[in-house]
Amino acid sequence: MTAPEGAPPVTCPRCDHPDVAKLADSPVAGVWTVHQCARCRYTWRSTEPARRTRRAHYPEAFRLTAQDIASATDVPTVPPLLIRPKVGRPPRGT
Amino acid sequence: MPHDDLRSFLTTLDKEGQLLRVTEQVSPEPDLAAAANAAPKLGDAAPALYFDNLEGFTDARVALNVHGSWANHALALGLPAGTGVKDQVAEFIRRWETFPVPVERREDPPWADNVLEGEAVDLFSVLPLFRLNDGDGGFYLDKAAVVSRDPEDPGNDGKQNVGIYRLQVKGRAELGIQPVPMHDIALQLAKAERAGEDLPVAIALGNDPVIPIVAATPLAYDQNEYELAGALRGAPAPVTAAPLTGLDVPWGAEVVLEGVIVGRRRELEGPFGEFTGHYSGGRSMPVIRIDRISHRTHPVFESLYLGMPWTEIDFLMAANTCVPIHQQLTAEFPEVRAVNAMYTHGLLAVISTKSRYGGFAKAVGMRAMTTPHGLGYLKTVIVVDEDVDPFDLPRVMWAVSTKVNPAGDVMVLPNLPVVALDPAADPAGITHKMIIDATTPVAPDERGHFSQPVKDLPETAAWVDKLRRLAAR
Repeated sequence: MTAPEGAPPVTCPRCDHPDVAKLADSPVAGVWTVHQCARCRYTWRSTEPARRTRRAHYPEAFRLTAQDIASATDVPTVPPLLIRPKVGRPPRGT
Repeated sequence: MPHDDLRSFLTTLDKEGQLLRVTEQVSPEPDLAAAANAAPKLGDAAPALYFDNLEGFTDARVALNVHGSWANHALALGLPAGTGVKDQVAEFIRRWETFPVPVERREDPPWADNVLEGEAVDLFSVLPLFRLNDGDGGFYLDKAAVVSRDPEDPGNDGKQNVGIYRLQVKGRAELGIQPVPMHDIALQLAKAERAGEDLPVAIALGNDPVIPIVAATPLAYDQNEYELAGALRGAPAPVTAAPLTGLDVPWGAEVVLEGVIVGRRRELEGPFGEFTGHYSGGRSMPVIRIDRISHRTHPVFESLYLGMPWTEIDFLMAANTCVPIHQQLTAEFPEVRAVNAMYTHGLLAVISTKSRYGGFAKAVGMRAMTTPHGLGYLKTVIVVDEDVDPFDLPRVMWAVSTKVNPAGDVMVLPNLPVVALDPAADPAGITHKMIIDATTPVAPDERGHFSQPVKDLPETAAWVDKLRRLAAR
């Protein structure tokens, strides 16, 4: 099913996830809305071209799968927590 | 007089014929980005763009391409609009000699006029956010000065960092941030995260034209960007402590966001069309929680288009990439004459030097790669003789084509660090690097047959003048 122009999107154009929320309305009422995917955080305005707003037109090169999202590497990596000794001298070599 | 805010600079650009006001109604997408993508294509005197009639908005003002030509870059430094590239770099070096210039602490910033806190914090209510490139994961803040301090040395003003980092709008009060490991804020975040803490940040949008230049300058970790701004302005940079975090932000900013980088959290970010002319993304990056927004009445949203070079960002990180490398190299090697690191933030650099002895030029190339900026950039370094102007690319190509014997003049250094955004890196963050020694070998390096160079005739300079006079008639 294809949503009519201007209607709320059915799924995320990028990852096809159904959980899509509205982030903003246009200050002039009824001109556009901004939406966001709860899973991949893709964000778009309803008045953008179909290549950015419609799953069927969204470029293959930028599509994401659940696996893509789950396997994304951390930049920067999260460092190990520093365990400070509660009493006594600090560890040698620090 | 230096400019204390973006608005006064826009007035200067207007007077100089360097600000194009687009008064017809345009759509936020794709018009704003397409116009800013187009602007630098108008040439070395391309104008800044100003939009105040956006579809669906009632009170939006957007400035784009403010630094997007050599003419605008010159005006940002207070130089005549026609100042050439090499002269702008030379003037930058001259002013660097007065660095550091202590800041001026100034009260009553105009951005204190309006405040949003708690549930009222909503980026969409203050900024006319919009997308730049088709594949971008969302709307970005990409010209904001992000201010943070060293959590293990918070009172050290030198270690206060001011940098431009890509910020993805993730929600009404949430941003994603890309702290590349080579950049100062990544060092500070790592310290906070090791201690299990958040890292406070202040984010200033819409600043006087020198602030983006210094925020994009690869200074040493303990060098204060505002003190470089003072040197470039010829007057102390006016700053004010932001009310929530106490971080120093530009007095003249349009909008100030305050909050924290949430410690030990990562979330999918991007992609984002980057300065490399390629998208980068699909990685998990830190998230900023915004707790307070301060803003001027009727704020101007300054943004920057970046994509296939050259776009505004290439002008914004050209001279300021050359100069610190020049200063760091000449501190140890006074033979170095000039540095041209204008290409893709210095992923490629051309350096001219006099050779102290055989092999010296290669050592200069290696030293350039181990400067703070060189560690993460400077993937290719071309070294030329002192009489070859690195900004004169035909001369550089002459040197490469005639002075180089790959048998002894091309050094490939394996598996060195590079910014993860380099699309050729493999894996991300690791690359071989290359030095091309296009200098004339000197003793005891006796390779080649360079003893009989053809030189301009002694009378040629006089004839250049004579021909110019004749041609001008």
